[in-house]
Amino acid sequence: MIGLLVATVSFGALLYLAALGELISEKAGVLNLGVEGMMAMGAVSAFMAAHQTGNPWIGLVVGILAGALTGLLHGWFTVVLGAEQVVSGLSLTILGLGFAAYMGKNVVGRPPGAVLAPVDWGPLTDIPWAGPVLFGQAPFVYLAVLVGIATWFVLSRTRAGLALRAAGESASTADAAGHSVVGLRLCAVGIGGGLAGASGAYLTLTLTPQWAEGITAGRGWIAVALVIFGAWRPGRAAVGALLFGGLLALKTRLQTFGVDFSPILLSMLPYVSTIAVLIAISVRARNRPSPAPAALGTAYRREER
Amino acid sequence: MKRPVLVRRHRPLRGGQPLAFAVGLILALAVGAVLLMAADHEPLRVYQRMFEKSLGDQNAWSLTLNRAVPLGLAGLAVAVAGSMGLWNIGAEGQILAGAIGAAWVARIGGTWPGPMLLTGMLVGAVIGGGLLALVPAMARARIGVNEIITTLMLNEIALRLLQWLIHGPWKDPDSYNFPLTPVLPAQAHLPTLFGRAHFGVIIAGAVILVFGIAASRTAWGYELRVAGSSADTARYAGISLKRKILTVLLLSGGVAGLAGGVELSGTADRLTEGISNGFGYAGIIVAALALMRPSGVAAVALLFGAVQVGGQSIQIIGVPASISTILQAFILFGAIGAGVFVRYSLRLVPTGVDASGEGGTAA
Repeated sequence: MIGLLVATVSFGALLYLAALGELISEKAGVLNLGVEGMMAMGAVSAFMAAHQTGNPWIGLVVGILAGALTGLLHGWFTVVLGAEQVVSGLSLTILGLGFAAYMGKNVVGRPPGAVLAPVDWGPLTDIPWAGPVLFGQAPFVYLAVLVGIATWFVLSRTRAGLALRAAGESASTADAAGHSVVGLRLCAVGIGGGLAGASGAYLTLTLTPQWAEGITAGRGWIAVALVIFGAWRPGRAAVGALLFGGLLALKTRLQTFGVDFSPILLSMLPYVSTIAVLIAISVRARNRPSPAPAALGTAYRREER
Repeated sequence: MKRPVLVRRHRPLRGGQPLAFAVGLILALAVGAVLLMAADHEPLRVYQRMFEKSLGDQNAWSLTLNRAVPLGLAGLAVAVAGSMGLWNIGAEGQILAGAIGAAWVARIGGTWPGPMLLTGMLVGAVIGGGLLALVPAMARARIGVNEIITTLMLNEIALRLLQWLIHGPWKDPDSYNFPLTPVLPAQAHLPTLFGRAHFGVIIAGAVILVFGIAASRTAWGYELRVAGSSADTARYAGISLKRKILTVLLLSGGVAGLAGGVELSGTADRLTEGISNGFGYAGIIVAALALMRPSGVAAVALLFGAVQVGGQSIQIIGVPASISTILQAFILFGAIGAGVFVRYSLRLVPTGVDASGEGGTAA
């Protein structure tokens, strides 16, 4: 049972990191369906860097940079050139998965050069229940918590966050207020890519410390779903991440609990519940405004406003 | 000081899209060449082999045509919805649902004569794909739920449904625990045309032709475009938006489902997890490159079919097939990059013309 809770937090952080990235990007008005591709790029780059240098932290940094660069490709096409966000994002997924497979061809199945092991909190780890669940985790879990709090704070409590949200709600207003919509959006997409890359690095540096094609296994789509499930709010997304993370953790443990239910069918739940939430949001939106950023998915050209 | 600004052309550059496409292709080949050289392969040799094995002779053409079938049908599915401004991102899941529908008919009709069984399988495929599109279609038409995310989520749901079936109720008891269904009955295979090419080529060609005519020559197609460009105009003209959305998304799902059925009865001998091979996602790129036009879909699907077949053929000389995935994505990125200049021209504007002086769409 403790194992289940530990895995819930662990998987939850994996999803949360990528979801926060997507949330930041969407808050600025850019839908990026390339999460899966950015994760794969982060995963393979982090693994290869750690393999080469033997230092997992260099792996993490390289993974974040790879994710950010991949994300900025989407930013260049959609924000600067005004291409369709849906098409560009999906192509990014295809490109990222293909590129990662090509890059990582020679390290498939190799032992990791270095792993990011759980942080040692000393006596705290020995506290029953809370010890292993909260203090026996890999650095990524604490990174996810920190980024979550920072995202909430910056978005809702700072001028920069206000400007970023304005770019996503009404780009022409943000522009008129003297903000660079292109700059804000590129920044958001880059950060979003970096967080997806960090999530990918978590996979290959800690969770399953090796590289294999398809290692992201659709988790990028769950991250996209989480943003909607959490109604574009970092706090609610954290709750959703724990729920969906719990489902991922439960998937492999159903049989040990003696429950006769297909783990495959169980893994449908995140997607089914996201559709349900989306429908609920739309039904409620008849009376109150939708939580989705108003300018989400639209390109902004000053000359055509 | 001057700064570059994109200015919309009064009308798009004539012949611009094929040009943009060519730019995309050249860019993709250039990027691919760099990647190949980085891994100590000779780009020219690799490209020559890809070309020969996909378009070099009759057998190569038959393989390329077979590949173009699911790509073209998936692309058409996306384009049908896209011509009305709707995004069907769920072609991948609908292909799987179509394959499930066809496989289900093959299970219950194993003893039927060939033509009846094949017809039944294809109908089952269309219904399967349409059923998967039902929830997004209803949700969009009735309460305005954005179809992008709902169709996307259903891809993952359909994949898990398929996995559950082949790991569980439909698993071949003689498969040594591999997740596969039993092989299809012998008469459940589409007839062969030439080489490896199967009858699905004709089916796909006919479906694309019918939609092409319907889209450009009928009142129905015209109404779609009106509804796609302006909901208000459509309402004013008495076009029922709800019904249009519903029928278009269901049709779109059905066409994608057909791709799954054709793939199962044409090239596979049983239902496996890899029945789609990402055709649904590639179909979105195909439709985007074709600017949502059925005629363009056929052409782009052929090219992508060739790239994919070529990509498989170079594995034997030690080049990963993922290079063809990279090529496809870069064709699109190159083409959308170049496509911007079909609609916009680059002008140098003195700075200071714009009061705020920063940001905007400076490129």
